[in-house]
Amino acid sequence: MRTIRNRWVLVGLFMTSVTMLGAEELHVYSHRHYEVDQKVNALFTEKTGISVKVVNAEVDQLVERLKSEGASSPADVLISVDAGRMQRAAKDGLLQPVKSEVLEKSTPQAFRDTEGFWYPFTLRARVIVVSKDRVKEGEVKSYEDLAKPEWRGRVLARSSTNAYNQALLASIIAANGEKEAEAWAKGLAKNFARPPQGGDRDQIKAVAEGLADACLTNSYYLGVLLNSTDPAERKAAEKVRIVFPNQDGRGAHTNVSAAGITKHSKRVEAAKKYLEFLVSDEVQKMIANGTHEHPVMMDLGKAAQLEKWGEFKADEATFSKLGEFSTTATRIFDKSGWK
Amino acid sequence: MGGKTPDAWILKSAAMLLALLVLLPVAVVAWRACGDAGDAWRAVVEDRLWGHVWHTLLLVGAVIGLALLLGVPTAWLVSVYDFPGRSMLRWLLLLPMAMPGFVAAVAYVDVLAGLIPFYVWVRQTWGIEMFLNVQQWVPWLFAVGVLGSTLFPYVFLSCRAVFSQQASGALESARLLGMGGWKGFFVVGVPMARPALVAGASLVAMEAMNDYGVASAFGLTPLTPGIFRAWGEGETVVAMRLAMILLAMLGLGLAFERWQRGRRKFAVDVSEGFLGRKKLPWWLGWGALMVCMVPIAIGFMIPGWRLASWAWTSRETAEWAEHLRAGWNSFCLALGAVLLVMTSAFLLVAGQRVMGSRSILVAQKFGLMGYGFPSALVAVGVGAVVLWISRNVPGAGWLALSASVSGLMIAYWVRFLAVGIQPVCAGFEKLPGSLREAARTLGERPIGALWRVDLPLIRPALVAGSILCFMDVFKELTLTLVLRPFDFETLATRTYRLTDEGRMAEAALPGLCLVILSLVVLIPLTRWMKGSEE
Repeated sequence: MRTIRNRWVLVGLFMTSVTMLGAEELHVYSHRHYEVDQKVNALFTEKTGISVKVVNAEVDQLVERLKSEGASSPADVLISVDAGRMQRAAKDGLLQPVKSEVLEKSTPQAFRDTEGFWYPFTLRARVIVVSKDRVKEGEVKSYEDLAKPEWRGRVLARSSTNAYNQALLASIIAANGEKEAEAWAKGLAKNFARPPQGGDRDQIKAVAEGLADACLTNSYYLGVLLNSTDPAERKAAEKVRIVFPNQDGRGAHTNVSAAGITKHSKRVEAAKKYLEFLVSDEVQKMIANGTHEHPVMMDLGKAAQLEKWGEFKADEATFSKLGEFSTTATRIFDKSGWK
Repeated sequence: MGGKTPDAWILKSAAMLLALLVLLPVAVVAWRACGDAGDAWRAVVEDRLWGHVWHTLLLVGAVIGLALLLGVPTAWLVSVYDFPGRSMLRWLLLLPMAMPGFVAAVAYVDVLAGLIPFYVWVRQTWGIEMFLNVQQWVPWLFAVGVLGSTLFPYVFLSCRAVFSQQASGALESARLLGMGGWKGFFVVGVPMARPALVAGASLVAMEAMNDYGVASAFGLTPLTPGIFRAWGEGETVVAMRLAMILLAMLGLGLAFERWQRGRRKFAVDVSEGFLGRKKLPWWLGWGALMVCMVPIAIGFMIPGWRLASWAWTSRETAEWAEHLRAGWNSFCLALGAVLLVMTSAFLLVAGQRVMGSRSILVAQKFGLMGYGFPSALVAVGVGAVVLWISRNVPGAGWLALSASVSGLMIAYWVRFLAVGIQPVCAGFEKLPGSLREAARTLGERPIGALWRVDLPLIRPALVAGSILCFMDVFKELTLTLVLRPFDFETLATRTYRLTDEGRMAEAALPGLCLVILSLVVLIPLTRWMKGSEE
């Protein structure tokens, strides 16, 4: 009798442990590797009891991984920092559409997938950062300005193999056509003050040190430097000014951090909860103050730094074409001499 | 005699199979390179190919030049003259061997970044054109400096052996005939060292061609990074074609050397005599010491010191768990590769000894070839094979590149089989054949004699081969970056990635681990070499 009862207890324990394993753990494949993301995930676990297991890698690797794992993939959520990559992942059948009122209400229509294969949760503007001393207000107003001959030897950008530059060029192809885009890339490469090297942050620092007068960078890198614990970085950031480009035209090129549920996820409900959590007020505030990215609904009140920079017009028109033109963009970069 | 036993048949076919496996990556690459690459290849030919080839030639040429410049005079000085610190320098000059190029690069990348005030000064003084030109060339100086100063010991070692032993008789005679100093160096020393120079320089050239870490740290794009890029973008055929071009360049280099040497022979009698070292006056002696210290400083002391101090300051914030995991991965990979390599090396060499079979000798020669294949070629060749199997053979999905280390193991095996074969060969050559004959007379079968007589006797050679192979795999970067499973890091890939992300202080710790481990291995190895020299 006693052994039988023990046996039932064991079975019960086994079942609960199975359900714990089965439903209470969410697998996220993410390109993002920020400290604040870990805090966000911890908060999610605290609120829902669902633990989050993250695998970090470049998004292209993650996509390859999803493809080779097929139906046996443990992944539930794919996160990348490039809309183009998400558009292609959806096209390759790696994601499944989600219908959620919360997600539709809390994300801008212009920056999400029309069929709901993925949703954005931060906005990332590619801006121009200029030297306060050497560049007058209004001297540079657009990406196109930087390719003009008067900027020879004065501009910096990171390597053209970087996804942020590729997405920017894809948006320029979408806006101005291939020919114009090629002329722009060539013109900009001619204006470089040094062959591309380092990341966005290094370009800002080099402008502060006087190597060049302007550089292309994502806005939040300047935010990171302005709020750095290293006084030298703060001092460098004080020497430069942010310019949101093309405000009189199509707006500043804006990409997204986006999340989608994988095609073969076994925990769709939990994954959906996670996506909705990412766009909640609390998380949006955490991210805006942590990485200094823009909140997905552009409510600047969430972070003092963003309020200081003020509102800007984001390029919505080219957004849906980023994935389509990414290969052309790489090709143009190769021809342009932008390393 | 043993040729008729079934044992022999199995051994022979196993040996041939191994040899074919070494050739597999090249065969696959050659075959796939003939496939259709579509527009992608045309684009590469138009926009990138010339740059890749030109950068490769320039980089390899400059690195050989620097390695000769650093290696030959130092070998001459420590062999021919006596001056303060000479005996220490004999092994101090080997230290840069323990510093992989991509680790030394960690310490120099931020020096390069710190040159901005200098560039600004150039711009103000000489104008914008000079400013732009200088920035084109400075990264080259760094890349060539780092590779040259960490690879020159290959030249140093081979030349030292000539100057202090083989050429010593000729040098002594020259000196007696009144030809000393510079004249002796150029008229007797360098010509006699020519084969050694070439041997050392070819090793340097191969390492420079295979480098990925240093070139990409300083933003250069020779063929190896070009192959990586094409592979990473999914342009398999383009990657294969670029790899074939790299192989062709290597082949042309070797052919050129053969042709240039012509029919001259470079036979030297070993140990003709002992060269009395000439004592230098104190000021020249100190000069010689300074000259020898330059490459040690650039290739070991400066980067070593910077790494150590960074590692020390970041010790509290370091991600120890991640480092340890990477270290464990490196260790397991190296151990696995050693087992594979040494077993097959023993099989190939011992099989040939036991049976005197020509076919196994041929297999052995094939095995040695793997070391000469460019790493990037082996990487994409093996990568393609593993991908194909995982996609086309039912139930082999676990083999997929992202999921297992199987591809890496094959690649290490192909590249480093030679590292195992050579010491085992040398070990067998020292054994008197009579021992095994005695065992056979006493009734042992060939395999039994091999197992119970030969194996214990060549144990030191096996150990030496294992250590060399372990080290080579432990600090391997190029193959590992392409073929490692998803979310899997070794100390080498971690050092590289953290440098790439600009986190130099954090990259210092795993880099330093690689250096320390190399040192631990280098010390007994130099002892062993010293022993064999005397």
